[in-house]
Amino acid sequence: MRIVISSHPKLLNILRCVVRYCAKQVGFPESDVDRLAMAIDEAATNVMRHAYKDSLEGKLALNIQAFPDRMEFILEDSGPKVTPEAVKPRPLDEIRPGGLGTFFIHSFMDSCCFDEHYDAGNRLIMVKYLPQKASSDDEGTIKKN
Amino acid sequence: MKVQLRKIDKISILDCSGDVDLYSSPDLREKLLGEMKSGVPNVLINMAAVTYIDSSGIATLVEGLQLSREKKTHFGLFGLRNNARSVLELARLHKVFALFENEKEALEKISSVKPFGGL
Repeated sequence: MRIVISSHPKLLNILRCVVRYCAKQVGFPESDVDRLAMAIDEAATNVMRHAYKDSLEGKLALNIQAFPDRMEFILEDSGPKVTPEAVKPRPLDEIRPGGLGTFFIHSFMDSCCFDEHYDAGNRLIMVKYLPQKASSDDEGTIKKN
Repeated sequence: MKVQLRKIDKISILDCSGDVDLYSSPDLREKLLGEMKSGVPNVLINMAAVTYIDSSGIATLVEGLQLSREKKTHFGLFGLRNNARSVLELARLHKVFALFENEKEALEKISSVKPFGGL
């Protein structure tokens, strides 16, 4: 499935609904469904704020692929390259607004990385394994298409 | 998301409902900080009808906490659903905010919340 939206925060709700629907179809438990929706919301929020700098004119494309053991979420934008350091999670002992979005993405996904070879903007690849197929040996491995 | 303000004695309660995300959190921020800046001594947020909260919503709550510290006023949240509570716990913020189970408990205890937020 591929869904393309403009970079308007009003549309984040649509992304969350789509992710919830797909994750339920694949068989993720309800707790994971909500967390996957939040991870994608946070990733899209980062695009809107950091890549498009709150402009409503950009586009975001979310590709969702289901495999027997996992789901892959690929979020693409055409904004300037965002360095991973710019969206690095902050230490949790700092009590201040902001900086939690990336922390939640990393917490809720089994792997998350930028595709360094994507030249048209930013491509963030996130993977979540189904609970019964989760294996520490697989963490960090991503099947590229 | 909707935010409605009501007052009981010297306590301001913001009743929130719906999803709190990048789109809706500026509205909550404006109303929360506006109420705090007006000089009220106690502010509570009713989270019972909040169906979703993301990092931008949490950032708004942290801003409220920081402002309450500056002004040495009392600030708390009540009625959190499991998803909102688990997100706060994951971010290790559940011990930073004054969290109450329900409005009754919040009204009874808000005045004993220390200005730094915890009980």
